[in-house]
Amino acid sequence: MSQTDQNKVLIDWQELSLSDEEFRRARSRYKLRGLIPVMGFLGPFLLLWTVFLAIPMLWSIWLSFNTGGLIDEAKFVGFDNWSRMLSNDELVRSLKNTAIYVVIAILTVFSLALTIAGLLNSNKRGQNFFKVALYFPLLVPPIMAGMIFFFLTHYDMGIINLVLQATNHEKLNFLGDNPNALLTIVSLEVWRGLGFWVLFFLAGLQSIPSDLIDAAKIDGAGSVRRFRKISLPTLRPLLLFAVIIALIFNFQLFDSVQVLTKGGPVLGTTSVVWFIYKRLFAFQDIGLAYATSVGLLIVVVVLTVAAYGFLGKRSEN
Amino acid sequence: MSSKHPIGIDLEDLARQDALTRRAKSALSYFVLGLFVLISVGPILYVISPAFRESKSLFSYPPQWLPNSFYLGNFKFLLTETNYIRWGINTLIFATSVTLISLVIDTLAGYAFARMNFPGKKLLFGCILATLMVPTAALLAPTYLLVRNLDRWTFGLIGLDTFGGLIIPMTVSPLGVFMMRQFIETLPKGLYEAARIDGASEWRIFTKIVLPLMKPAVVVLGIFVFMQQWANFLWPLVITTKDETRVLTVGIATLQGQFVTNWGVIAAATLMTIAPIIMVFLFFQRWFVQASVAGALKQ
Repeated sequence: MSQTDQNKVLIDWQELSLSDEEFRRARSRYKLRGLIPVMGFLGPFLLLWTVFLAIPMLWSIWLSFNTGGLIDEAKFVGFDNWSRMLSNDELVRSLKNTAIYVVIAILTVFSLALTIAGLLNSNKRGQNFFKVALYFPLLVPPIMAGMIFFFLTHYDMGIINLVLQATNHEKLNFLGDNPNALLTIVSLEVWRGLGFWVLFFLAGLQSIPSDLIDAAKIDGAGSVRRFRKISLPTLRPLLLFAVIIALIFNFQLFDSVQVLTKGGPVLGTTSVVWFIYKRLFAFQDIGLAYATSVGLLIVVVVLTVAAYGFLGKRSEN
Repeated sequence: MSSKHPIGIDLEDLARQDALTRRAKSALSYFVLGLFVLISVGPILYVISPAFRESKSLFSYPPQWLPNSFYLGNFKFLLTETNYIRWGINTLIFATSVTLISLVIDTLAGYAFARMNFPGKKLLFGCILATLMVPTAALLAPTYLLVRNLDRWTFGLIGLDTFGGLIIPMTVSPLGVFMMRQFIETLPKGLYEAARIDGASEWRIFTKIVLPLMKPAVVVLGIFVFMQQWANFLWPLVITTKDETRVLTVGIATLQGQFVTNWGVIAAATLMTIAPIIMVFLFFQRWFVQASVAGALKQ
């Protein structure tokens, strides 16, 4: 009796078990079925990302070896665009302008924003009011900010020159002279970006444990010393991240140039993106625009990977 | 009544001095802060003045701070002689559509990356992360060509001078997916696992458990995307050539080209464009502040 029972169990087991082939098929079917909801969730984004980001990225690399293509047929020219990049005066000038702009803008806006964030952090009363007030320029699209700056810096109608005139000073040529024009654009971007970086650094400062600050206070460290010896070192990783993000943002300088100076006077405010835009849509030397785009692309991707790789390492520690 | 310290230091005097320097310091701080508030808000407020004055009076000397008459001609010109209203409606259509579409696809994709397992997940996420900050400017040419060619394949839905061509390419934001994934990962896993064991489908878990908890993240991302597209200039400039699809930023820029001397109209246009967003901001300032920092700080 026990013998037959055992047999029965064995037979059942064999019926239930799958052969290797069947097992493999079932496993892949199970895996595939698991992929269906994944594709449901990820599909829409993945489709759009592939079509409007991944494909254009690869396409732009191909384009950089071509010329034409916007109104006529594209023509393959090999490394010609790339080899001509550094001998193009306007591009070199644009790179130089963008570099000067990026350095001055980031240095100014960071030092101002750190100072203001420090002041706000130690003067709690009315903090919210100041946050809101400093935020206003961020609400103004760069194009409108450019218009607003016309009313400040226009040679004849700008309020600054009108006041200078009324107080018997010489009028300043903010937009029609070099390097004034570039500096005006820097001040526009600083004006617009300041509120953002204040909020950014304030969030960073507020994340510093207060017992660290209190201990230093008891030890008799003054506010400047506390800022230099405690706040700054604790903020350093965040600061590096901020610099990279700011580099990426500022490399895209275009809107204010288009509104305020159109690249002038005498190429004094041409930026990299302005250069790309002008080459593409004024239909002159399109190949150079293609190659420059890829250059910009590489810079941005490398900086992004650096920023987040760095940040990832920090959060692991 | 001064209490002398054994060594001879007047403690009360010391405290008084300390309070005095502290007050002086804080007064100085508030002065500096006030100065920056003036710098931030002043230029925006100043635009009110030229908006209510005739253009030729803008060049008047001595300078006029306040309009002496309440001249409405600039606004009238803007509303009757230009397509300002059309541009405004287009901007709303554009920014709202991009916001809604990217909110949907970003939360879905964020959920997939945070809570689902599939082969190649890490690699794919790495690829998407590398494209996190790729600007429109760097892909201007291929995206333009792509949209132009898509016209044929999408039966005119996505093409030059169409809303599809304007909106769809702007909905791809790896940053949004990244933010949503980071947020979902901070949600308690227990709830999710309990629902899973009870046999709930991913879709049910997503809609019944995760989505209700995501309200703050969705609002923050929504404001972030809307503000970005509201201010967008380069892409609309490239992709639209007609007033039917033109948005405010591009429209006002063309106004500058057409009426170089008519600065009053430009001031009125600037004012009319930023006034509504400032109103909205004053109502929802807490969310705006979060949204602006979230883009960079939400790690």
